[in-house]
Amino acid sequence: MGREQSQYVIVGGSAAGMAAAQAIREKDPTGTITVISEEPDAPYFRPLIPFLVSGKKQAHEMVLEGCGPYQAAGITVNTGSRAAALDANNHCIVLEDGTRLGYKKILLATGSRPYVPPDIEGADATGVFALRTLDDARRMAARIDQTEHAVMLGGGLLNLKAAFALLERGVKVTLVVYSPEVLSQLMDPEDATLIRKALDDAGLAIMTGVAAVGIQSDATGVTGVVLNNGRELASQMVCIGKGVRPNVEFLAGSGIRVTEGIEADRYTATNLTGVYTAGDVAVTHDPVAGTPIMTALWTNAVEMGRCAGQNMAGLKTAYCGTFGILNATQVANEPFVAMGIVHTKDGDYEIHRKAATGSYRKLVFDKNGDHLIGAVFVGDITNAGLYRYVIREKMATAAIKRQIIEHTLHYGHFSF
Amino acid sequence: MSQPKEIFVRTDRCVGCRSCINACAVEHSESKTLFGAVMQTPRPKSRVYVEWVAPDRKVPLVCRQCEEAPCMHACISGAIHRDDDGVVRTDSDKCIGCWTCVMVCPYGVIGRHLEEHKAYRCDRCPDRDVPACVSACPTGALIYQSVPAYAKTVRQNASHELVKAERG
Repeated sequence: MGREQSQYVIVGGSAAGMAAAQAIREKDPTGTITVISEEPDAPYFRPLIPFLVSGKKQAHEMVLEGCGPYQAAGITVNTGSRAAALDANNHCIVLEDGTRLGYKKILLATGSRPYVPPDIEGADATGVFALRTLDDARRMAARIDQTEHAVMLGGGLLNLKAAFALLERGVKVTLVVYSPEVLSQLMDPEDATLIRKALDDAGLAIMTGVAAVGIQSDATGVTGVVLNNGRELASQMVCIGKGVRPNVEFLAGSGIRVTEGIEADRYTATNLTGVYTAGDVAVTHDPVAGTPIMTALWTNAVEMGRCAGQNMAGLKTAYCGTFGILNATQVANEPFVAMGIVHTKDGDYEIHRKAATGSYRKLVFDKNGDHLIGAVFVGDITNAGLYRYVIREKMATAAIKRQIIEHTLHYGHFSF
Repeated sequence: MSQPKEIFVRTDRCVGCRSCINACAVEHSESKTLFGAVMQTPRPKSRVYVEWVAPDRKVPLVCRQCEEAPCMHACISGAIHRDDDGVVRTDSDKCIGCWTCVMVCPYGVIGRHLEEHKAYRCDRCPDRDVPACVSACPTGALIYQSVPAYAKTVRQNASHELVKAERG
């Protein structure tokens, strides 16, 4: 195949990639931008796919183009196109069909894919899903008619959202969680009490401290799940939410420095000239803990993608890093926010907790009590953005500590 | 080209009367009348906030329509966009109530409509020449002007003060 040329090439058409493309276009009105996306669908808001399962939204209501900040002006998106190798010496990305696409600047924003534990037998059966793409959501929705009972493996946010989508369609749902409590990545078990109650009240069956060892199936697809406590759950659908792994395999032999993901410097650049990275696949740093970190969150991916786009377009922009934990949402009518350092069992912290009817909050300060480093709000998430700002900017909290602890902090305390 | 206008806040003039809050809620009610707004269920929401800082300072807060708006870029459903007038708007139909915007807004000016499960914020009153909060402010604590015009006012006020001080 021949060689094509584009000034900017972006590998990956989701949050980080499209945010970068948009940021480049804002700074450089004329440079050619080509986005390569392996999915068949035009770029879309991935966090919305549970709504396709619940039936609340159609695929066309999730498209990125023309929504929010995404204008897509002069951005070519090649869907169904997968990168096979990076030939950095010749400034080329080689696609699976053999096409070589030349670049001046390239962004590796290949994201991540669901992790399916190899110790679960039979996970390749029909009716086993890891809800990641719009296609996954379509297939999941198509199987609802023949599903009486769905088993969700993993108690993370994505599985909770998928579980509620299924509940709304009248499917009975059991959540199987290996951790002692749901949302164990986002909060300690005792912080999840209110959320757990809300989930129970909403009719979600939850089993904690157990794992699946096998998935049974026949010609109709999934028929049941075998647990490590010997129990078997009859089930026609299984959804695996056990975390994600970065898509880095195509970089073997390219010279790109890959640890677990692609290593990014302060300016979102990799170790090779003209090659940048952002999003789930990138290893960045946590401004609070100061450690290398990978996250799989839309909001973070967009922020980093925009930063990468600005750097690629010649506006040198430092990326301020992201918290390991940063999430807000609402499940079972219970809103919550978790950010910064929230797991406090193994560390020396000053912790303030306050529980009231319908709300819970936990504030984590460093051991000297000088800096806020983490927060969990359940029920009442008012002004969460200010607390995020205090954490991220490592503000000295002496003057506003009482307001932080009493949850009365507002922007007025920052001015003058 | 005319300069876009901003809402400026003069905290030294705010007496905490909450007129802006009432006017905002009325403007964002179905009837746009005070009586109708009070009777409406759920109650219409104000998008301007007046906070208090000890011992006696009042701080009106309203969406700053940030240039690099964190809420717009963080939104996971594409519900927030900037219109041609530079105003950042939340499209209620697209909002899924995930509260990510609340988590990233450093000013704390995005409200949560719990009954409708939607986020709401200042829209600069698209049906009015001057936002309702500014019109309602009896002390001039809220000012709707372009940046150069406001800067000029501030400079003039400062020089008047200086002249007054010199004259004793």
